[in-house]
Amino acid sequence: MNEITRREFMRRLLAWGLGAASAGTQLSCGSEPTPTPRPTPRPTEARAASTIQPTFTPVPTARPTEPPAAAAPAPTSTSEPAATPTPRPGDAYLAVARGESPAAIVQAALRALGGIERFVKPGDDVIVKPNICVAYHTYEYAATTNPEVVATLVTLCLGAGARRVRVMDMPFGGTPDQAYARSGIGEAVQAAGGEMEVMSSMKYQNTDIPQGRDITRWPVYQDVLKADVFIDVPIAKHHSLARLTLGMKNLMGVIQNRSGMHVNLGQRIADLTSLARPALTVVDAVRILMDHGPTGGSLDDVKLTNTVIASHDVVAADAYTATLFGLTGADVPALVAGAAMGLGTMDWGSVKTEEINV
Amino acid sequence: MKRKITLYDLRITHYVVWRRLRQGVQAVALLLFLYLLLGTRQGGVTFLPHDLFFRLDPLAGLTAMLAGRRWIASLALGGVTLLLTLALGRVWCGWLCPLGTLLDWTPLRRPRADRPDPLTGWRQVKHFLLFVIFFAALLGSLTLLVLDPLTLLFRTVTVAALPALNALVTAAEMALYRFGPLQAPLELFDRAVRGGLLPVAPSFFGQNVLLALVFVGVLALNAIRSRFWCRYLCPLGALLGLFSKVAWLRHRVDETACTACQRCARLCPTGTIDPGRHFAADPAECTLCLDCLASCPTKAIAFRGRWGLAPWRGYDPSRRQVLASLGAAVAGVGLLRAAPAARREHPHLIRPPGARENDLLSKCIRCGQCLQVCPTAGLQPSLLESGLEGLWTPVLVPRLGYCDYSCHACGQVCPTGAIPQLTLEEKRQRVIGVATIDQNRCIPWADGCDCIVCEEMCPVPEKAIRLEEQTVVNCRGETVTVHRPRVIRELCIGCGICEYQCPLHGEAAIRVYVPNTLAGVP
Repeated sequence: MNEITRREFMRRLLAWGLGAASAGTQLSCGSEPTPTPRPTPRPTEARAASTIQPTFTPVPTARPTEPPAAAAPAPTSTSEPAATPTPRPGDAYLAVARGESPAAIVQAALRALGGIERFVKPGDDVIVKPNICVAYHTYEYAATTNPEVVATLVTLCLGAGARRVRVMDMPFGGTPDQAYARSGIGEAVQAAGGEMEVMSSMKYQNTDIPQGRDITRWPVYQDVLKADVFIDVPIAKHHSLARLTLGMKNLMGVIQNRSGMHVNLGQRIADLTSLARPALTVVDAVRILMDHGPTGGSLDDVKLTNTVIASHDVVAADAYTATLFGLTGADVPALVAGAAMGLGTMDWGSVKTEEINV
Repeated sequence: MKRKITLYDLRITHYVVWRRLRQGVQAVALLLFLYLLLGTRQGGVTFLPHDLFFRLDPLAGLTAMLAGRRWIASLALGGVTLLLTLALGRVWCGWLCPLGTLLDWTPLRRPRADRPDPLTGWRQVKHFLLFVIFFAALLGSLTLLVLDPLTLLFRTVTVAALPALNALVTAAEMALYRFGPLQAPLELFDRAVRGGLLPVAPSFFGQNVLLALVFVGVLALNAIRSRFWCRYLCPLGALLGLFSKVAWLRHRVDETACTACQRCARLCPTGTIDPGRHFAADPAECTLCLDCLASCPTKAIAFRGRWGLAPWRGYDPSRRQVLASLGAAVAGVGLLRAAPAARREHPHLIRPPGARENDLLSKCIRCGQCLQVCPTAGLQPSLLESGLEGLWTPVLVPRLGYCDYSCHACGQVCPTGAIPQLTLEEKRQRVIGVATIDQNRCIPWADGCDCIVCEEMCPVPEKAIRLEEQTVVNCRGETVTVHRPRVIRELCIGCGICEYQCPLHGEAAIRVYVPNTLAGVP
């Protein structure tokens, strides 16, 4: 066997490395994880009946390790309030706050729900998911969530002792950095002490959706599933296929292959919600986008409504918000599918709703 | 009498220091080049102009001004390089050129000095290329600037090296991320490299393998002669070499001390130390690397200042060569302009916002900065879309990346104005193409199922894609209501995000074509 010098070895290594690199680039084209839609989408399948829950008390999915007792706290237990999405006696199921200061109405809505402490325990890792879908416009155009709403939530979470509060979204138009900057959310969150995270491609993994009726596996951002508390902060917007972009639709930001969701969109959004279930939803309706959503771009389409809607039940919060557009939950396919799966109630009139004017 | 301090005096005690200094400057210049390249990105900030090296490039500057018929102030910095060359010779090549540095670092073969170099005549190839480039520039064509060493290196790093590195790192990250204990360090690593060294999103460039092979070829020529590229081919080297003919600082040999040991001749990376001429070097070929200083056992070599014209060599330009290159340039430009692309534009030749086809061909120096800065990597090097004349000019390929509605970076980084500097507001109005739906493939049109992705993505405030509700019988015989997209041509700006996001595999069902003048757009 021929002996080779180190120099020769390095030379060959470099040649092989260059070869492998160019080969690798070619091979990795189109290697996006393939989601697996269920072969025959049938929303009216028989097993639907068995999963509809008699009461609309969702199981806290954001905290899978928590003992079941925490989900149903004793009515008298006030000494150590357990952080749980489920409303305790006295807490509103749905809070609607109106007023000119976004920060004040977020605080008022959370107070009505029983305080942020109901959701966030000291030491928790919190992820806040606003809608930062494009880098095109400032928040006044109502395409992205109001920065003050997001920052107030960050402040509240940190005040409740959260170890870490991360804010993230993956825009479809423009880069995350640009979108964070132009929406004003980046600056506001950092000033409040939160972190902006650029969603990294390595954290998406194909994940089973056990309750999924149409899709049973999809690439989902793992941190959202692993976080102690996941807070959904959509802005209420028009959307031509989903009718409205609200809390459930906002969850599209935590997955890959979004265009693949658009077949049977309503059911697929509900399937996704059953997996990435927010512990708290705060709908930003300070400004709402009445038309040409989700991208917007014209102030003529923006309506100032100075409202936030908050609940642990994303379906209820979304259904209430639909009324701001002159619609009901029944007009939004994702809400109908979500209610049918027992993810929450569209009938916000039947639960304890507190309306506050600040 | 007071003796003038020259390099000669310094050499006696510190001759190795000069070589070390040169090597250090080379490394710093290469790192600076790469740093500025990485800083050429949307929102990137560098402490020096990101296009500093192109500004210092007199070949790109002079030809861009000739072909564009106008003064480009920022490229006047190339004059500094020419002045430097008049004083010190081809120091650019030996000390600063990042491609030259990489060539120095590539394993090489030294020529044997004891007999004449049979390839010496090849040195005139670079002069020929230089004159062809100049004459073609006079005729308004900059195609051959693809041979400029700076554009060559910048383009290769942008199109081939960085995307490959990114693909490898991303694949490694994703593989390692499955192991729990590695997740925290990987996250730290990822946050450290993304947005700086590596882009946030992966990029896929056409012809990346071709460009890598061209570059490897340039390096591989080192196996025939060290710095083969710089000796025989580099048009910028040729230009600087001609100025070096009268450069002040010269290589001198003290013939009384020289023992004709041939060490310097064997070591010279450009092979210009000629044993047949008492070891004299041609200043037009010497890159001032100073390796010979350190090699001389009798310290017979010095670099001293002296004005005057260096002797003309056999490979130096002759009137005949100038005439031949003029003929070649005229014939070449004629051939390029008679190509089909000049008759009928390619249907998908989508140019960066504001760039007009003729302007682009006579102003684009092929530097590749727009490709590097484009956040979606939608700007790609063209191959034959605008004929061979437009080789490696930027063209938007929407299926690979769209023109971001929040970005106007390409016009900001273009050093020659081939892509005009527009404000974000102006850029949003600029029509670069028009989208057209293929009703035979579009899901709502062909299959009777809802989709609407293109309408959702459209960034135009009034939406250039609108939906029509239609009751149709779908392929399963069911009567359903679907939303069919239609493009409003008057509103479409051709950004291509609809084509990029179309969920169909392979070719999109909505494609961007060149702007349609019938629709009343410029």
